[in-house]
Amino acid sequence: MAKGTSQRISFRAVLLACIVLIGGFGMVTVSLFRWQVVHGEELTAQALEQSLQSTTISAMRGTIYDATGTKILAQSASVWTVVLEPNYIREDEELRRTISRGLAPILEMDEERIYEKTGEDSYFSYLKRQVETDVRDAINQFLTENEIESGVRLIPDYKRYYPYGTVASNVLGFTGYDNTGLDGLELYYDEELRGTAGRLVASKNAWGTDMPFEYEQYVGASDGNSLVLTIDETVQSILEKYLAEGIEKYKVKNGAVAIVMNVHTGAVVGLATHPNYDPNDPYTILDANMLQELQSLPEDQRDEAETNAWYKQWRNKAVSDTYYPGSVFKMVTGAMGLEEGVVTLESTFTCTGNKEVEGYPAGIDCWKEEGHGLEDFAAGIYNSCNPWMIHLGELLGAETFCKYREAFGMTEPTGIDLPGEAVNLYHSLEDMGPTELATEAFGQNFSITPVQMITAASAIANGGYMVQPHVVDRIVDPEGNIVKTTDTTPLRQVISQETAQTITSILQYNAAEGTATGGYVPGYRVCGKTGTSEKIAQHNEDPTKPMEYIASYCGYAPAEDPQYALLVYFDEPDGASNGGLTGGNAVAGPIFSKIMGEILPYLGVEARYTDEEFGNLDVAAPSVVGLTLDEAIAAIEESGLEYSVIGSEEGSTLVREQTPEVGTTLPKDGSVVLYTEGFSQEEAVTPVPDFSGMDLVNASYLAAINGLQISVSGSSSGLVSTQNIAVGQNVRIGTVIALTFVDNIETDTFVSLE
Amino acid sequence: MARDRRPNNRKNTASAHIRESGTARGLRRVPAGDTMAAAVEAVPQREKRRREVQTRLFSLGQGMDTPLLAFILVLLCVGLVMLFSASYAYSYYHENGDSYFYIRRQGIFALAGTAAMLFVSTFDYHRFHRLAYPIYLVSVGLLLAVLLFGKVLKIAEIAPNEDDATRWINIGPVQFQPSEVAKFGLITVLAHYISQHIEEMGDPMRGVGVPLGLMLVCAGLVVVEPHLSGAIILGALGMILIFVGGAKVRHLLLWCGVLGGLGLLALLLLQAAKGGGEDSGGGYQMARVVGWLHPFDPPEGVDTWQIRQSLYSIGSGGLLGTGLGQSRQKYLWLPEPQNDFIFAIVCEELGMFGAILVILLFSLLIWRGVYISLHAKDKFGTLLGLGITFQVGLQAVLNICVVTNTIPNTGISLPFFSYGGTSLLMLLGEMGILLNISRSASVEKT
Repeated sequence: MAKGTSQRISFRAVLLACIVLIGGFGMVTVSLFRWQVVHGEELTAQALEQSLQSTTISAMRGTIYDATGTKILAQSASVWTVVLEPNYIREDEELRRTISRGLAPILEMDEERIYEKTGEDSYFSYLKRQVETDVRDAINQFLTENEIESGVRLIPDYKRYYPYGTVASNVLGFTGYDNTGLDGLELYYDEELRGTAGRLVASKNAWGTDMPFEYEQYVGASDGNSLVLTIDETVQSILEKYLAEGIEKYKVKNGAVAIVMNVHTGAVVGLATHPNYDPNDPYTILDANMLQELQSLPEDQRDEAETNAWYKQWRNKAVSDTYYPGSVFKMVTGAMGLEEGVVTLESTFTCTGNKEVEGYPAGIDCWKEEGHGLEDFAAGIYNSCNPWMIHLGELLGAETFCKYREAFGMTEPTGIDLPGEAVNLYHSLEDMGPTELATEAFGQNFSITPVQMITAASAIANGGYMVQPHVVDRIVDPEGNIVKTTDTTPLRQVISQETAQTITSILQYNAAEGTATGGYVPGYRVCGKTGTSEKIAQHNEDPTKPMEYIASYCGYAPAEDPQYALLVYFDEPDGASNGGLTGGNAVAGPIFSKIMGEILPYLGVEARYTDEEFGNLDVAAPSVVGLTLDEAIAAIEESGLEYSVIGSEEGSTLVREQTPEVGTTLPKDGSVVLYTEGFSQEEAVTPVPDFSGMDLVNASYLAAINGLQISVSGSSSGLVSTQNIAVGQNVRIGTVIALTFVDNIETDTFVSLE
Repeated sequence: MARDRRPNNRKNTASAHIRESGTARGLRRVPAGDTMAAAVEAVPQREKRRREVQTRLFSLGQGMDTPLLAFILVLLCVGLVMLFSASYAYSYYHENGDSYFYIRRQGIFALAGTAAMLFVSTFDYHRFHRLAYPIYLVSVGLLLAVLLFGKVLKIAEIAPNEDDATRWINIGPVQFQPSEVAKFGLITVLAHYISQHIEEMGDPMRGVGVPLGLMLVCAGLVVVEPHLSGAIILGALGMILIFVGGAKVRHLLLWCGVLGGLGLLALLLLQAAKGGGEDSGGGYQMARVVGWLHPFDPPEGVDTWQIRQSLYSIGSGGLLGTGLGQSRQKYLWLPEPQNDFIFAIVCEELGMFGAILVILLFSLLIWRGVYISLHAKDKFGTLLGLGITFQVGLQAVLNICVVTNTIPNTGISLPFFSYGGTSLLMLLGEMGILLNISRSASVEKT
């Protein structure tokens, strides 16, 4: 029995040991094989994935230069993002207090807010983004002084700066917090500008801090490419200056556009739109009217209205707005006619003030109710005669008209390198009835963008070649090597050189003597065409409101070798408050003239004055104060000016004062008033009369009888629209009053086909 | 039998005396083979005149089983190295940058434990005959105490409450789990009882009922803590000893059936009384089973973070491992890498080969423990040795099974590896007993 017991014990113990060892460890070994060999790789990958953290290293965004390559329009600079790591500090009440109290004044943030953030259950919480280096230094000093080693981190980042503020803002666009382009070129060329972010892959423990492993892998960031624009900052600033002036002067309600294009390359040398904004701070509404409107809204509607206002000021009207080109388009229709040979310069047509159109028995009116009478082809254009154009449209026929319309790029977006280009509306060949053809022939009833219009005008200017509009001249890598240069080869030829030259000469005459004299620029043989578009759709929506207009002027110079085209476009000049000026010649013309007069010399187009023009050139008044009267008279005569004397007329008496002051410009035949010993102050001043609405003759007469002088700008055949010194203000006898003359002719007639 | 014992070659006066006198060892040895019956009859009569084995400081090695000692020390050393590797990151982050916190404490306990083991190995295990019931009663008392302080009086200083469980007792700087003590208490008392009633093991009451009752008292109290894994080990140890002791399998099954049924009934009643709340213990265990089946895509509400991280660690090791000290998972990914899941770090750093080597070391230890126990000089030694060996074996197997997701997750530490001073001390003490058994066992001495 005892033997049996022992053997049983042995047997059972060995049995159990075998179960435990072979069974238990056997199973375990199977498991190990399964996890380590079969699933080893995938588990390793998952383990690595959870413990490897990659940190993005921001790439520096490329710079945007203007056409000169020296002016920086947009640039990134190093800034710092302040991040809290609350989980390392949230247990320590005192430390949280110290940190929030210390950082609040440095970051200009609320102490309680920082304190709250330090208590979050998180390892990463943004405190403030994009602080400057001096703030970083202050924070580092604070951390060192208080021996704070964890909880607050500074991450290098970049911030975008736009040194010229609002200049070209609607072209440049702006970037968001994460340095991605949100609008304009920043958006369109985002991939080029952005560069490739680098990565730092490092092992992290489950708390997110570093592990002592050699797994770190550093892939450096490659900085973004830079853009060199075709836009010249000087030209751009001139455009913006005069647009603002025009908006102010003509009470323009809905913004404005001015585009300057190199007619041979399609390079946009300047593109200004209004309203604009400061890309450094895109969320601030700059336009005073928009801001006032916004603030007048009740609180609950303000958010939505503010968003709308943002989009409005960020919008690039030059590519995103469409309008009826109106009479400006007549240059294109004219070119079609000549090119197709359906008309010649000798062709004539009699305008009776109305032309009957098939399907529209009432006929379509000319802007000149009594009619232009018998006109040749050139007169049809420089008179901006609607019946002539309708006649021309009929001669061309719908099919040919549509073919040319497409060739001139009026049926699809230009493909300019800017975001948000609008798709324009027009009647297709199938829908093109006689009335549609008639109205489209003089630029109504179809819409295009301002960029499409100036591109078509450039084609006429450059001898018939369609060019590709663009704002980026070349893309340059961070080392300065050119990555890509924009191809400026013309896309196609749409009209012949002869046709183009013929239209050019007609347009030159138009600007000098025709219906577009508002844009005349002395010294430059400017070609121009005005346009006035009625915003009929808007009017139909709410007929109780008065009709609103878009006044535009499109032209180019110089006529003998066109170089630059300019389109000026004012959206809704308020005729009711600016003296009834809503037409292209009256509103856009003078601004066109001023812009051209300033940019052409800058762009290297030399002025060549005719004798008549040369005679009208202004001269500066010489300095004669302190001289004897004889000496003064000699000096003035040397300048080719005349003089008059108030006070003693003795030759040796001293000149006490002079009007105009030294350096003031006055017309060639102007005179300088010399105040000598014994003049009386009362005798010397006179109130400024009201010149408005006068023609040149009457204005000259009124000035003469008041002892004043005038300097004339604008169309000498027009009427005074503005004077630079307010009515009733007392000025010295002899003061030069600058008068602007405009022809206020409404050359557009809209025909509603509804 | 003479061939079982080779005369000790050491020219040591004490051993020479014993050998020449031919008394103590020869008489106490349980003879194998023909003389078994006579020896068994002789034991109870001679027991009262049994003489103590004289072991002196300079003869510590006397009769001790060298392979067993070697396995113990190798496991202890490997365990310490792995504990250091596994714990230093955790220690760094949780002990204010002190990477050596855990290894320092464990090292001290290992040294103390080794000393204790050698001391205990000189302590004649037969004294546990008399100490069996006192130790058992102390164990039960401690189990009651932890429940009293933890559940009734709720004195967290003495019996801290973690996740609604009270498993630990703190007395001053000393912390220990009464269930650890209870394991030893149960082994001792069952070894004593069964060796005393070896002839009655065929009896369903005295052979199975009574020892099962002794076990159930301990296991039941541990369940209340609640500490399921501890109770499972206690239960398994009890059953193993009863089974090995010679109980009839059908009796064992019968008792298990009856008690299991009663237990289930009690559980159901308890559930009903509690109102069958969703968060009852059953749901908790169920979640563990679900988590075990779907470690990577657990259903909503089942947290398998620990086992998932464990498998990531094991998988990362591959065949050859990442190299000692190169675990990534110990950087706070794997929770408690120095404790129950230390084997995952072993797998990660030493690979499948290293893990299997460690398993082999445990197997050798268990094999040697069983071998020595079976060659112990009496039934008490056999059962005591088997109990201790199986305790280590069961814990090792179950721990590694949990870590490798072979069985559902339950908290069992890995002997020699897991951090825990008092439990290491106790483990080494138990190894001392095993060594003491080996001194008088009929095992070839080297």
